[in-house]
Amino acid sequence: MKNNVQPSAAGHAYASSKSTTDSGKPVIAQRNSAFKGWGVKILPPLIAFVVFIGGWELIVKLLGTPAYIFPKPSDIVRAAAENFNNLMVSVWTTIVEAVLGFLLSIVLGIGGAILLASNRYIEKAIYPYAVILQTIPIVAIAPIIVIWFGAGTNAIVIISFLIGFFPMLSNTLIGLHSTDTNMLNLFTLYNASPLQTMWRLRIPAALPYIVAGLKISCTLAVVGAIVGEYVAGIGGGKGGLGYAITIAASQLQTAFLFAAGLSASVLGIGLFLIVNYLSSLLLSSWHESEMKK
Amino acid sequence: MSSQHAFASETQRETTGKGRQLVAMKELDKVYGNGTVALSDVNMTINEGEFICFLGPSGCGKSTIFKLIAGLEERTRGDIEILGMSPKEARKQSDIAFVFQDHTLLPWCSVIDNVMLPLKLRGVPKQERLQEAERVLALVGLSDHRKSLPRHLSGGMKMRVSIARALASRPKLLLMDEPFGALDEITRQSLQDELLKIWQQDPSMTVLFVTHNTFEAVYLSTQIVAMTARPGRVSAVLNVDEPFPRDDSFRTSAAFSQWVRTVSEHMQH
Ligand SMILES: Nc1ncnc2c1ncn2[C@@H]1O[C@H](COP(=O)(O)OP(=O)(O)OP(=O)(O)O)[C@@H](O)[C@H]1O
Ligand SMILES: [Mg+2]
Repeated sequence: MKNNVQPSAAGHAYASSKSTTDSGKPVIAQRNSAFKGWGVKILPPLIAFVVFIGGWELIVKLLGTPAYIFPKPSDIVRAAAENFNNLMVSVWTTIVEAVLGFLLSIVLGIGGAILLASNRYIEKAIYPYAVILQTIPIVAIAPIIVIWFGAGTNAIVIISFLIGFFPMLSNTLIGLHSTDTNMLNLFTLYNASPLQTMWRLRIPAALPYIVAGLKISCTLAVVGAIVGEYVAGIGGGKGGLGYAITIAASQLQTAFLFAAGLSASVLGIGLFLIVNYLSSLLLSSWHESEMKK
Repeated sequence: MSSQHAFASETQRETTGKGRQLVAMKELDKVYGNGTVALSDVNMTINEGEFICFLGPSGCGKSTIFKLIAGLEERTRGDIEILGMSPKEARKQSDIAFVFQDHTLLPWCSVIDNVMLPLKLRGVPKQERLQEAERVLALVGLSDHRKSLPRHLSGGMKMRVSIARALASRPKLLLMDEPFGALDEITRQSLQDELLKIWQQDPSMTVLFVTHNTFEAVYLSTQIVAMTARPGRVSAVLNVDEPFPRDDSFRTSAAFSQWVRTVSEHMQH
């Protein structure tokens, strides 16, 4: 009897000690990993940022390099603060131009792709030219656009649109052609009209591709707006970031040049993040592929 | 939705094989673009009102026959006519539904929107659409999932939604390509009984059904079409002369096992 009881008691003790560690460990591990997850994400880049900025400030200061050749972070902040209003006007001008160009490339890119995809012959006839047009460097034809549309917002928006247009068009087109054959069969079987098939099947199925196009085009639209401003200049109204950059460069206001360049990057990142957020909203209620990511 | 009246009537099917000729295939060949000979010299007629099961090894061309009948693929040689018309013309005029081998649900639409799709494409008013969808969802036991997205359903549930969608259009010709393959035995049997009930209520409704399951084929069909592979041919057509309605007592009868044995023997040659 005793021998029989002994192992079971030991077994119990073992089991209970195990269960306490079981109930104890995961909580600690969870707390740890939650803290770690946050820490791992934020802390290292933050430390790297501080080290980088601090090192930059220190080294430039020690070397005594003049600000018009290589400004310190503090010089850049001061230049931005002194010209804050001008800088904001430039940022705003560029935002408006880039967003208008982006919207144009969305509307015409998606619209054009739907048109091409709805008729095989139109597509065969036109798409090769669209590809060829895309290979023309935009900077090379920008002056022509300025001649046609005048130096100013119109020309800049059109240049920004032209750069973002093709990724939108080709991505949407690939998406519209990627529809599953069995799904198409289903729509054929129920005698769906081409319009119904396009609207209820092909466009929704193309959505992940369209979203990929949006992400590419939105950053390109900012590039296009700044390139446009280089070429078209101030025009009639107020100059954007591209214009501010050319002026600052010609006057050797290097610190302000840095500030304008940084603003342009922030603007591009901001637009990208907004588009990214909107598209994940669009897709999450919509399509499987976004859920897998 | 004129076919609704035909369903409402309580005409029960007692005998089989009395309908007019629905499908006629003569020396039918299908060669796919990559050179695969999917069907070779298929000769067969299908009468209206039959329940026909197609049995055969994988790759023998069962899905291909269905796609030719539905006008989704073009024949390579020979003739195929449906009520004297080409399959494409026939498809435009008749009520035909297809349960594809995979569920083909729109991933961005809820279960009920998927089920209502054929009706929506036809321009059926919203109220009627909803009623129909609720009816067929109850039939396949998925009323509680009407708002779910397909990705939140199991494979068997997706297939049931796909079956509900086909039934929602109240088809006169129903093509089902291995519809019950992914289902458990209990669901499978209850859906078999539901399907037979729907089919029996409308003497002019024809069901063509692919299965790999000999028991299922014998239980359901008025005719079994046995096929062989490479190239796909029809090797035998068996008339299952057993009365309807069929129920569990038929499943356990001596006649049933005799039929299963006969069919299995045919499949081995
Ligand atoms: N779109 C296609 N293009 C080329 N070959 C095809 C195509 N569809 C089917 N085939 C070929 O035709 C043959 C018959 O295919 P089918 O799908 O009709 O077979 P099945 O009898 O339905 O098989 P399973 O039971 O596996 O579904 C196969 O060899 C297949 O590889
Ligand atoms: Mg098949």
